[in-house]
Amino acid sequence: MKSYTDKIKEIAKRLLKEDKVDMVIGYRKGTVPLMHQPFFATSEGEVDSFVWDSNCGLNLANYITDRKERIGIVATGCNSRNIAVHVVEGKIQRDQLYIIGIPCQGMVDRHKLAAMAEGNIASVEEDEDKGTITISGQGFSKSVDKAEVLQENCSICVHRNPVLCDELVADEVTEQTREQADPYARVREIEAMSPDDKWAHFDDLLSDCIRCYACRNACPLCYCPQCFVDESNPQWVGKSVDPTDIRTFHLLRAYHCAGRCTDCGACVRSCPVGINVRDFTKKLEKDCLELYGWEAGLNTEQRPPLDTYKPEDPEDFIK
Amino acid sequence: MKVIKIDKNEWASGLEKLRSAYELIGPVKEKFYHAFQPLESGQQPDMDYINTRVSPKYVIYPQSELILECSLNENDEDYKIYKEPEKEYTPKAILGIRPCDADSFSLVRRNFDTEEYKDPYWLRAYEATTFVGLACDQPCPTCFCSSAGSGPYSDSNLDILLADNGDHYLARVLTEKGEKLAAAAGWSQDAGDEADQQIDQKKQEAESAIQSRVNTDKLASQSLLDLYEATDAIWEKEAFSCINCGTCTFVCPTCWCFDVQDEVSGKKGYRIRNWDSCMYPLFTLHASGHNPRGTKVDRLRQRFMHKLKYYVDKYENGIQCTGCGRCVQLCPVNIDIRRICNMLNSYDPESCTCEVTAS
Amino acid sequence: MKNLLEHMGVEPERLHFSWISSAESTKFVDVATKVTESVKSLESKEKKFVKTKPKVA
Repeated sequence: MKSYTDKIKEIAKRLLKEDKVDMVIGYRKGTVPLMHQPFFATSEGEVDSFVWDSNCGLNLANYITDRKERIGIVATGCNSRNIAVHVVEGKIQRDQLYIIGIPCQGMVDRHKLAAMAEGNIASVEEDEDKGTITISGQGFSKSVDKAEVLQENCSICVHRNPVLCDELVADEVTEQTREQADPYARVREIEAMSPDDKWAHFDDLLSDCIRCYACRNACPLCYCPQCFVDESNPQWVGKSVDPTDIRTFHLLRAYHCAGRCTDCGACVRSCPVGINVRDFTKKLEKDCLELYGWEAGLNTEQRPPLDTYKPEDPEDFIK
Repeated sequence: MKVIKIDKNEWASGLEKLRSAYELIGPVKEKFYHAFQPLESGQQPDMDYINTRVSPKYVIYPQSELILECSLNENDEDYKIYKEPEKEYTPKAILGIRPCDADSFSLVRRNFDTEEYKDPYWLRAYEATTFVGLACDQPCPTCFCSSAGSGPYSDSNLDILLADNGDHYLARVLTEKGEKLAAAAGWSQDAGDEADQQIDQKKQEAESAIQSRVNTDKLASQSLLDLYEATDAIWEKEAFSCINCGTCTFVCPTCWCFDVQDEVSGKKGYRIRNWDSCMYPLFTLHASGHNPRGTKVDRLRQRFMHKLKYYVDKYENGIQCTGCGRCVQLCPVNIDIRRICNMLNSYDPESCTCEVTAS
Repeated sequence: MKNLLEHMGVEPERLHFSWISSAESTKFVDVATKVTESVKSLESKEKKFVKTKPKVA
């Protein structure tokens, strides 16, 4: 990904030098493997810290909410869609932004790789030509095809190229069709279960949750000044690790993202205990597509379906 | 103090003998990661584990703990009078706890066991527990225990320290509690005169394998206000990526802050103590609506200033961190306490710079 | 909402939407009776989203 990194640096330097933007948001190399850090540069000198590879999985749209500066921002397909959602929802103005578009080749799943490693991962190497990822640590070294260790949301992604951008760092990548990607296979698996099995599945899914709210806070959609779980008057939900309260939090958070979620995977990536929070959100994404023909963040004009009314909106749930 | 030899063949049968007197808790592989869990009959702790995702602090200090309950039935004599729920503090043994995690309990104890106030829940659970530590021969790349006042063979808060020595453990029995447990398990084979040296030898090897360290020598002499006000040099830039989740505080073995919540269910009232996190905006929100730590920069500064400066000044006993590296590994946006510690340690108020630059 | 609740394992019979005017008292009674019956007829007796004593240590 050196070519991407170099190009990002080149564009960022130019933008800052020509005073087109006040800051450029991207990633710098992390202090631990598989984890790059969201970072902003305000001077040309700082630009050299920027990096791009398969470990840039946090969604940068998170960092532009309500900012007043002119911002240059690095954005993949899903990140650009979240920026579009932000523009629609009035959290940033389009003309404040200079979007450096990344034709995305997917992020690697840090949970999957950690589970594969026979010990702690000390370093990760990516071979672009071979398409492999090599993890190594004390007494082990393992190479795998990148395709096998992609984040699940990346492997089923149908919007890899930015939908909104001012300049691309490379030629667009080929998109998968929805037929090839089959993005809702996992949702269908759950849909096929009996109600009690579904209930048990989500019980098990959430059994490790420590309510740290990393999933919520890593999500660019969760920008409410006060989340419903934090409200105390009235208090909507208990604050302990009681399973009912944990499930209520996840259910309602997911629902607040309906029609806005771009399946960027930041929630899953940020979870310290590896919960696949997308089991909630992906169902809503599928419903929005099937009921309203809607995909979030494909343009900056249309408001999300749950925010608007059309006479032809489905209403067969009313009996 | 004596050193005994526990043959690995006798390990499992020893544990079975312990069950009549102790509830056993040990590292168990769950879906993907290890966690400390009560060991069911016949279940063995996985002593080949590296470390758990969430620290074992919850064994003594659960994330949510019922501390009081009351009746809300007006006809009851004790209507609305809070009482302690009945709880048994049966003897527990934590098996295979890492020395860094064990050391964290002595740090946390400074908060829960003071002259003025003794936290009954924490202390009862702590006192009922025997700590059987497993020395760490394979430190992770993120481990910096030896420069954070702990170490891979640190035994300052253990009752027994086990060192893996091939087909057997060498066990340093450090306290009376430890002796009692060893006797109950039937582990008594003398390890010989050289065992102590052997452990020291292994300790040196383990310490030299630690690649990561923090500098803490100047933290105490730094001016608190200088560090607090180093907004441009440190806090603004470091806080940028922070998303204000509670991961760092919840996986940390030494974070002790909590929040007390009342819940009502039917005709019963429950008072529950939950872990809280200084990363949350609610943590310092006043009833008036004012929040003295209103921005994430304030909150991030609080977390690190508490661990690396306020605590250092108040207790004069090093930093409030044992170097387990969990927050470094698990922070979703790679905020690294090692980097921040080195920045604070090297901060020069004259030039407003640190040796580790913020960019 | 109904779809996501169903997805999580809450039976579709447990959540019901109807348009009922304030003048339609008999329709309200009918719907309420029907919903009660459909919930009672469910096979699963597991209580979902019912919190009694908080499950904490």
